[in-house]
Amino acid sequence: MTHGMPVDEILLVIAIASYIIGALALFGFFLSRVPFLRNLGATLAIIGAVAQFAQLVARYEISHIWPLLNLYGSLSLFSAMSVAIFVIFAFRYRLWFAGGFVLALAAMFLTYGVTWNEGVMPPVPSLQSYWAKVHVPIVVTSYAAFLVSFVISALYLTRYYVERRRGAAMMLSASVEADASGGATATLAGPNDGVSGWLASLPTLPQLDVLVYRSVAVGLPLLTLGIITGAMWAKEAWGAYWQWDPKETAALFSWIIYAAYMHLHTRNQWRGLRTSWVSVIGFISIIFCYLGVNIWISGLHSYKV
Amino acid sequence: MTSAVRNLYADFIRTFGNILFAVSLFVIWGILTLIGVIVDQGKAPSAYYASYAAPVARAILRLDFNNVYHSWWYVGIIALILTSLAVCTFKRVIPARLPALRPVKIEAIPLHATIDVASPVESVRGSVERFFAQRGFLVRNRDFGGVEWSFADKQNWARRGVLIAHLGFVIIAAGTTLYWAFGFSGVTAILTGQTVTIPRSGATIHLDRFRYRIDPIATKTGIVYQPIDYVSHVTASGKDGVARPYTIRVNHPINIDGTNYYQSSYGFAVRFALLHNGRFVSLSAPLYAGDTLKIPDTSRSIEFLRFVPTMDPQTKMPSPDPRIGNPAVALSLIQSGTSEGAALVLMHRTVDVGDGWSVRPQRYLMFTGLQYRYDPGVALVGIGAFVLLVGLIVSFYFLPARFYVRVDPHGDGAKVGLAATTVKGYDIFAEEFGALVERLRTALQSGG
Ligand code: HEM
Repeated sequence: MTHGMPVDEILLVIAIASYIIGALALFGFFLSRVPFLRNLGATLAIIGAVAQFAQLVARYEISHIWPLLNLYGSLSLFSAMSVAIFVIFAFRYRLWFAGGFVLALAAMFLTYGVTWNEGVMPPVPSLQSYWAKVHVPIVVTSYAAFLVSFVISALYLTRYYVERRRGAAMMLSASVEADASGGATATLAGPNDGVSGWLASLPTLPQLDVLVYRSVAVGLPLLTLGIITGAMWAKEAWGAYWQWDPKETAALFSWIIYAAYMHLHTRNQWRGLRTSWVSVIGFISIIFCYLGVNIWISGLHSYKV
Repeated sequence: MTSAVRNLYADFIRTFGNILFAVSLFVIWGILTLIGVIVDQGKAPSAYYASYAAPVARAILRLDFNNVYHSWWYVGIIALILTSLAVCTFKRVIPARLPALRPVKIEAIPLHATIDVASPVESVRGSVERFFAQRGFLVRNRDFGGVEWSFADKQNWARRGVLIAHLGFVIIAAGTTLYWAFGFSGVTAILTGQTVTIPRSGATIHLDRFRYRIDPIATKTGIVYQPIDYVSHVTASGKDGVARPYTIRVNHPINIDGTNYYQSSYGFAVRFALLHNGRFVSLSAPLYAGDTLKIPDTSRSIEFLRFVPTMDPQTKMPSPDPRIGNPAVALSLIQSGTSEGAALVLMHRTVDVGDGWSVRPQRYLMFTGLQYRYDPGVALVGIGAFVLLVGLIVSFYFLPARFYVRVDPHGDGAKVGLAATTVKGYDIFAEEFGALVERLRTALQSGG
């Protein structure tokens, strides 16, 4: 392999391959609950994340340039952190069944990041700051936590709406049964088929809600700290800690949404279904802040100079 | 108070003390914030008419969406949020988070359990108290109409987390208000060799030299000119009148008498020689991009469009290389207010502008763009941010829960009734509640 790929590219390929195969395995586990698939997926998730962190270190070793200060580097960290946070949650709260979604998203964001790889570039003067080095990992980690809460909220909503449909179907089947005495019920989803077994193996709605809360509780303080360190950096580089730059403002917007989430979550009637929707909207705003602002709106933060 | 005023006051408290109202204010705050991300801020009115349909542009300007963060809408919504925060603090947060010790209907609380024990009531009560105290609960007993209740609080101190977070938000708001009231900021351009007095701060700054470094870097998409460093060497004096040398670079501002000076931009100004029939007449003052130079005795002038650090000799076009090589200036000839066309003129080349007049870009001078800012609220904003963060961590990572316990005689032994509430509903505590009750059951039943 003396003329082969550089070590960072090998690690990148390992990471993407692990995520894709791991995602398939965990999707399989999601549907089938075969423990082997879970173990395979979990192992690949860990291998992928470790390969990614090793890749970032390798890039730093090769170039001696902090590897997170362009969109490629930050998307690499984002996908690695999403998987890492998910793995911690999965071990603590038996959440492996959701891993297929997280790994698929991580693979997608990482692959998208690779398209922004311009090679090795020294950072522009404003990025040559201590604060830049702490700010970016903190913010990206908060985004990663929000990705995990997004996936769990999506599961909450799926479970909620599937249950509701089935609730309606069961009522319908009961009335059909009453009308036609048997026969017709076989064509409708009954309560004891595969789907209900599968639903029963998911955490309950309140359990999923608590997990969404716990992951937002990781993301929100990090986002707050990220905005604070960003403000400190802005103060050094541009003279004012807050300049209403589109990027900082978009981050404030996401922060407001998650603050609203936290407040609604204190109300019994809003906890669960509605807060899960707020978490979904919050993640959309995070993606807008992270990618949309860089790509569509130019400002001090835009990576494209 | 008349009853009308009293009703108004009651309505105000009810509205501003409602958390859904507060969240609605958040939503409006969020939407206004987002408008400023989408609509370019602080541009000339014509820019909005150029990018939007006329009615939309008109609406943007009418509603101050071109400067939304300094509009009354924005300041007003934050004021409403702070008002709501104050009302909620006293009407809702303090009563909800620091509830009085009161008896409850145990079966009505979703997290409840009963344990039957064969031992006498008094000893059971003592064991229950010890059980909770050993686990770090704060245990308090109260007598209500002859029934003794025990209240066991877990992480009781953390009930103040919300108050801390809210206080942090208020401190940040106070810090930003200080800047509005007493702070100032601005930008100044200083030519090499020039001395400028900064308005309001009174400091004088002389630019000795400006340096920049830009490196060409080969990337996958071609050569990129990457700025590496911008440095201003200045001599400055503050209130004490003593001149001192300073170096200002990006990320390394300087501070004179509490005002900070930052490296924010740089550029080139050009002095033009004016000639008539080939004979030198005068040398202009340094012109910045966009400045014009009037040609005497005519209705013509030239506009200095921009400085081009290097002109590509082949294409005669500006090169993307921002380093000085073959410098030129882009000029436009203006006749009675309308442009007659633009040209790229190398430094020291003379261009004919009619009627025997000609101009020659004679010298270029670098200038540094400094941003300055005096902000007496920075420390408060910093403290507020820290307090807010502590409040968030306390609120999210410490779960205050309260056990309500009563021990009643039951046959020969005792019946222990337990219920628990938390500040975040019941689901989040269900597992821990179950586990604690089981441990208590084992302890009481085995302990006898
Ligand atoms: C309009 C302004 C605000 C009002 C009226 C308000 C009101 C409230 C209320 C009533 C609660 C629930 C207390 C309870 O149920 O025990 C609460 C919780 C909380 N608030 Fe605010 N708040 C406001 C702004 C903020 C801001 C700007 C932050 C900063 C992020 C914040 C952080 C929190 C936190 C962390 C909690 C606890 C949530 C939890 O424990 O799950 N609040 N707030």
